[in-house]
Amino acid sequence: MSSKVLAFINFKGGVGKTATVVNIGATLAKLHEKKVLIVDIDPQSNSSVWLMRPDRWREHVTGGRKSTFQIYDDALHGKNRFNFEEALIKGVVTWTGFTDLPRLHLLPAAVELLRIEDRIHELRDSAVYRVLDAALGAYFKEYDYVLLDCPPNLYSTTRGAIFSADSCVVPYVPDYLSLSGFQVLAEEILAMREKFAPHLPARRKPNIGAVVVSHYRQSGNVYRLAVNELELSIAQLQRTGLLSRQTAILEPYIRHCVRVAESTNEHLPVILYAPGSIGAQDYCDLAQGFLNHFENKK
Amino acid sequence: MNYAELAATLHHVGDRLSKHAGKIEGESMGQSARVLLTHLSKFEALLDGYIASRKSGELLLETLLRSPAAKRHLTIDLLRAGLRHLTGKRLRSTDLRAAKREFVERIHEAGSQDEATEFLQDAFAESIHVDSVGKDKASLQREFVGLGRLAEEEFAQEIQRKSLGELRRLAETNGIRFTDKTTKQRLAALVRRYAQRAVLNIWAPT
Repeated sequence: MSSKVLAFINFKGGVGKTATVVNIGATLAKLHEKKVLIVDIDPQSNSSVWLMRPDRWREHVTGGRKSTFQIYDDALHGKNRFNFEEALIKGVVTWTGFTDLPRLHLLPAAVELLRIEDRIHELRDSAVYRVLDAALGAYFKEYDYVLLDCPPNLYSTTRGAIFSADSCVVPYVPDYLSLSGFQVLAEEILAMREKFAPHLPARRKPNIGAVVVSHYRQSGNVYRLAVNELELSIAQLQRTGLLSRQTAILEPYIRHCVRVAESTNEHLPVILYAPGSIGAQDYCDLAQGFLNHFENKK
Repeated sequence: MNYAELAATLHHVGDRLSKHAGKIEGESMGQSARVLLTHLSKFEALLDGYIASRKSGELLLETLLRSPAAKRHLTIDLLRAGLRHLTGKRLRSTDLRAAKREFVERIHEAGSQDEATEFLQDAFAESIHVDSVGKDKASLQREFVGLGRLAEEEFAQEIQRKSLGELRRLAETNGIRFTDKTTKQRLAALVRRYAQRAVLNIWAPT
């Protein structure tokens, strides 16, 4: 299977990283019959607890063994205790008590990741970047899409995800704080490209493939102007070689929708929880835009 | 619980039942067995239908027709065009709900579920497809940034050369909202303000 590995990154928090990962993943699995793996490497474990009931999640990841924590703990201690099949969660459990979305798989995170995050830096540079790729690279081939949900920073785990990924997706809130962060991010990714080059196949270069705009509101000028400034900035970054010509802002923009927030409490993607909501419709269209972009359909 | 676990449970119960079948007696066991059998029969019928519709591609077709994407993009005209394209037949229904039902039935008769799914997926993809930033838009965005860099007098001269229509196009492309009543002077002030802001906010190579 030809898989596409995408790292969802932004060192600014609250930009909709997890919402984008969970809802695009679910829509690709449900409506496009894609086999999708979500890998949660954020110690906050947000995509894990979005897709799993907290009691089930806690029981599953107790001690961190059946979570992505174990991958990093193994790397720090030179052990090999991580077991992909044991850690994997297949599908999401609905109110019936039975699973739905069998094509959507999740590798959950555990809060234990917090305790070792600063120690991961102790590993040699090239070893740090390779941790995730070495542990999971072989399994990625079984999926159409692998979506890496990264923490809101650019520390080692995020860099490792960027190293493993074919491309990065940047969730973005249309305001200046996001815009300034995006520009720094583009510079950082370029620096990583040079640093990773000796360790990566030539065809795999860290890059920002797409930007996803969320928390959008259509009323007034504010958001239109902010998105225009993002477009201007991307064009500028492309002219100076910091971004590739393929970097695109995916459409539609995800509008603010209370049903999406509510769906986190139900531990379901919005397409299952409130399929009639504007949030579900936006994510459905965005998933289509996502396919069009990453599979060069249009 | 997932369905593999349910299957294992049924297996386990089946094994135990067959081991002890010859020794089971009593009304409560009989009643409970009857209830289980009724539910099992219903479940098996559902499962058969599910497997058949999945195999034929009908499940995905129906999922698509009920999806949030359908709610936004599906019209009777689209179903009409699809049915004509795929089967050469005419859609008779006049309301969307009935049309969906008729579409599925006709497609089922023709055995074209996979083709119908592809038709709908393409149609939904087409309806959200947006043109990449055209040359026109790119040049209007560049002009906008250029205007933001001008001194006040130079800006005024540039604006004077433009018609109201040209200025509206420039503003519209760069996310500035205005009404039919917005004067050229007011629009120019808005363009000046937001173009200057854009220059400040977008990344400048050092």
